[in-house]
Amino acid sequence: MSSNLGKTIDKVLADTRSDESDVRSATAPHQHDFPYDREEEAQVTRREFCNFLGLTSAALFVGAAGFAGKAAFDARRTPQLPPSKIAGAETLAPGSSLNFSYPTAKDSAILIRTLDGELHAFGQKCTHLSCPVYFERAHQRLECPCHDGAFDAKTGNVLYGPPPRPLDPIKLEVRADGEVWAVGREAGSSEVLL
Amino acid sequence: MQSEQIKAQPIHNLAGKGRTAVAQARLILLVMVNVAQLWILAATVEAALAHRFSALLPLVVASGGCFVVTLTLILWWRPASRRFTSSGYLKR
Repeated sequence: MSSNLGKTIDKVLADTRSDESDVRSATAPHQHDFPYDREEEAQVTRREFCNFLGLTSAALFVGAAGFAGKAAFDARRTPQLPPSKIAGAETLAPGSSLNFSYPTAKDSAILIRTLDGELHAFGQKCTHLSCPVYFERAHQRLECPCHDGAFDAKTGNVLYGPPPRPLDPIKLEVRADGEVWAVGREAGSSEVLL
Repeated sequence: MQSEQIKAQPIHNLAGKGRTAVAQARLILLVMVNVAQLWILAATVEAALAHRFSALLPLVVASGGCFVVTLTLILWWRPASRRFTSSGYLKR
């Protein structure tokens, strides 16, 4: 009697693993070709979960540090961009805009001649979520259609909406015969990395 | 030997319950720290895109602090087990 009880206790103490092996038996042909311990797969121990959380924490820390480091590195870097002529800018009417690309063909930008004849150019990506902004003639400002953000057409500053910083301004140079050249691009920000 | 096991069972269960509670609390703390770190990462990305450079360093330091807390939780804050106590816990 006591030996039976002892066996039962031993069995209960030893039986700490699940019986998933019966339920999760290999049925598909490929599972015979690539066998693995299905019972092990069904279990995640507390220790494994703790280790997983530790790895996740490390990954989140590395991600935050990496993102901050890249942002700081990009802010310190001042690349020398080649000048580029903006075709058709000399005939641009006051109160209208013209799209061009600078410094590469992928970087779309917008040139604006305000009603008083001044020329201003900005990168076309909204600083909120990179939607392309457009020049709204009626209000003489740059607007983002995605989340109703708006920027001043002369300074690129945020007028309202979710964008957190001004548009990236593009330096312009008016050369002989009224040709307009883009000669540099900056990051629109009120904060400078020391 | 078997009779010793039977006698030790109630004490073992009590100790096991205590260890389980501590282990669960430890897991919950780890998950909470991970959630906080996720929020910090989102804030870091937002600050970087907005060029708010003064916020970057504190955010990275906070994330590092969370990682250190996670490490201490994993490496040091373990439930006490297999120790002889005044209640007579028996090593299995």
